[in-house]
Amino acid sequence: MSKRKFSASYVALLLVGLILALVPLATGGSPYYSRITTLMLIYTAYAVAFNMIFGHTKQLFLCLGALAGCSAYLSVVLTRTLALSPWITIPLGILLAGFLGGLFSYVSVRRGLGVIFLGVVTLAFSLIFYNLILGLREYTNGETGIVTKGLGVRILESSWSSYYVFLAVLMLSLLLYHFVMSSRMGVAFRALSDDELTAELAGIDVTSYKVFAAAIGSLLMGIVGSFYAYYNGLISPALFSLVSVDIVVLITLSSGGIGTLLGPVLGGAVVALIDELVRPFGQLNVLVYGALLIVLFAAFRQGLVSVLRKMVKFQIP
Amino acid sequence: MIPILIDGVVQGLQLSLLAVGITLIYGLGGVLNLAHGQFAVTAGIATALLISNGVNVIVASLLGVLAAGVFGLVIDRSLLLAAYRYKGEERLLLGLVLTLGLSFVVDGYLNYRLPNVALTLRLPIPSLSVFGITIRAASVVMSLMAILVFLLLLIFLKGTLLGKAIRSIIQNEVGAELCGIRPARTRTFIVALSAVMAGLAGIAQGLFSSLGTEMGVEFTILALIVAVVGGVRSINGTLVAGILLGIVNAYASYYIGAYLALIILLGTAMLTILIRPSGLLAYWT
Amino acid sequence: MLIRVEGLEVSYAEMPVLRDVSIEAQRSEAVGVIGPNGSGKTTLFKAIVGMVRPKRGKIFYDGTRLDGLGTPDIVRLGIVYVPAERELFPQMTVLENLDLGAYINQKARGELLEFVFSFFPRLKERARQLAGTLSGGEQQMLAIARGLMAKPNVLLLDEPSTGLAPLLVAEMYRQLSRLKKEGLTILLAEQQVPLALSFTERAYVLENGRVKLSGTSKDLLGEPEIKRAYLGVA
Repeated sequence: MSKRKFSASYVALLLVGLILALVPLATGGSPYYSRITTLMLIYTAYAVAFNMIFGHTKQLFLCLGALAGCSAYLSVVLTRTLALSPWITIPLGILLAGFLGGLFSYVSVRRGLGVIFLGVVTLAFSLIFYNLILGLREYTNGETGIVTKGLGVRILESSWSSYYVFLAVLMLSLLLYHFVMSSRMGVAFRALSDDELTAELAGIDVTSYKVFAAAIGSLLMGIVGSFYAYYNGLISPALFSLVSVDIVVLITLSSGGIGTLLGPVLGGAVVALIDELVRPFGQLNVLVYGALLIVLFAAFRQGLVSVLRKMVKFQIP
Repeated sequence: MIPILIDGVVQGLQLSLLAVGITLIYGLGGVLNLAHGQFAVTAGIATALLISNGVNVIVASLLGVLAAGVFGLVIDRSLLLAAYRYKGEERLLLGLVLTLGLSFVVDGYLNYRLPNVALTLRLPIPSLSVFGITIRAASVVMSLMAILVFLLLLIFLKGTLLGKAIRSIIQNEVGAELCGIRPARTRTFIVALSAVMAGLAGIAQGLFSSLGTEMGVEFTILALIVAVVGGVRSINGTLVAGILLGIVNAYASYYIGAYLALIILLGTAMLTILIRPSGLLAYWT
Repeated sequence: MLIRVEGLEVSYAEMPVLRDVSIEAQRSEAVGVIGPNGSGKTTLFKAIVGMVRPKRGKIFYDGTRLDGLGTPDIVRLGIVYVPAERELFPQMTVLENLDLGAYINQKARGELLEFVFSFFPRLKERARQLAGTLSGGEQQMLAIARGLMAKPNVLLLDEPSTGLAPLLVAEMYRQLSRLKKEGLTILLAEQQVPLALSFTERAYVLENGRVKLSGTSKDLLGEPEIKRAYLGVA
């Protein structure tokens, strides 16, 4: 790894961190913009997590929302019904998400299941999750959801502290991504994404790396998901549906640049903008997202980072 | 007991109609169509719109199904072309994402523009008595139609040269090409045919209860489950799986509840993939 | 020259498999392509029939450029490849497999079927059996028979003697000679060198993706290198 690439990443992250830290000052005290910018951070963090799972190992998990939701719901339900402290239940939830993600990856690699089956298994899991939430009404309150305000996570109840909490989560995730990618694991990932068979023949333990990537990414999904549930004041299955999470994350990552460090950040900004533009049209956002997904994956998969790299002389990580 | 069984079989036939399309498109095109349910909805909504404009019910239904077929053809020649450029896993991945996007586009559009349109068909006779059991006329009509379609499909696949060519592509695309068969041309035909069958399933839904614009995703998922359990490359397996899962669903819904029934079905699909990816009931294409 | 390959270069993921390979074959000629495993024989055939895309080079058939065309189109021009993997349709009967072999030739199907059954009587016995349940040798027969059903002008055979009893192999080559006289051009990839050289008029020796030797089969049989490497003669 060249020194140049190292410092380029740190400079980039520093810049990003600074810019994002200053955003609240730019938008004044408006609760509306506070929410939009916080959501942008949340979805960007989701995208970093998915980048971890999918970016180099091509494991198409169609259960991102369900992973985040499992973590969030476990935490909220335990806190509410057993009166446990969120500081205990949140880690539990996160571990559940990480475990499930790693499990899906492990089983799929072991059984040699390709993209299609992993996609169907994770899709099925998404739906099982959704129906479980609806079916276990006594614990989860079904579609109406549970109020999470007042369950003990004070820091996520004020809009500005929440913003900085999520900013911290995002920056830490990006740093984690950077560390992993610049370590020996990163080399293995790049080898994997180039040609899995060759990587395996070269002695790289494909199974371990894939499972690790999936587990870490799922843990991240769990962290963001449970924090989001508390921030939102209300947890409901709609927060974690395919439309709410999976499709948005797919668009975010592919528009920004799959497998790059800044991809999720650029994508997050783009999607936040699009979301704003589409908001007045209500239900139409589903159509817009679907169309974007098609256009991005059919014609523009390299993403913004790729485009920018061609335009400027210096390295964009 | 018996009415539930009959319900299950009839529902199963409808599921099979949907699922066979998924099997065909996957077997021939190497693409898992996550937007398949939208073909059914397209047919249903088109029919409903035509009926509300005064068109005769039967003509409207035929036109609706035709509309689904045309939609399928267009999709194959446009959207799926992007996926066909690649082979194997790349194509699968791209196909999954593109059809997922398509599903949302259709779903979003229909729910935004035509949220209150639904297809509800009423037959002149509410029910018939067959062997002393009272069955809904809708069930009888639907079952007969489905059985007829399947018979025709089987005759086509086993008896005609084109049908054999299609089976050969599913069994071994390389071998088929070595015989001079052009998979690309057959693909478009099959996608259109699958869409037509899905369209029929959509009309059937209108017969049973009603078909709304929001049902596309649900149809797709059910079709996926059946196709996976029956074997995504096995037509016969899919047929059998559809009926069996229809029966399971009917009993489970009645005795345990709709949510858990769906979870059972989903769980069955997951288990199938993990234990026997080629399909629990796969045999013989 | 009926079929001509010029300067063919094929790579699998940056790894070159064929380097600057040029071969040619005339009408009614049987040409052998011999060499050890991995020398590129199969890749050469796959390139001719459009299953792999060459990085560089040209392939001509009776004046038409083949490289760049898809396999079905090349087959329809009259070039049939019978791969070592056979690529049969396992859940279809022998008869159905043969029917599909004649997909582009439906009119002549009846007589072709008769011919093929006289070629391989065992297949006639098993006509209604599923291809997947046949023995290795029978599958090999079926693969070759299916190829013949397309009434090819050029037949590419990849290790056709695999799994076949020597008597049957001899009979098969006898029949192929007959077809050759009627105008069939045969390209034969074989590991059994003496067999290949006895049946073909000319042959190319491939090693590491290059044409190392070429000439008439008679001459090659006398080459000391061939004798040493393939015939076990010191």
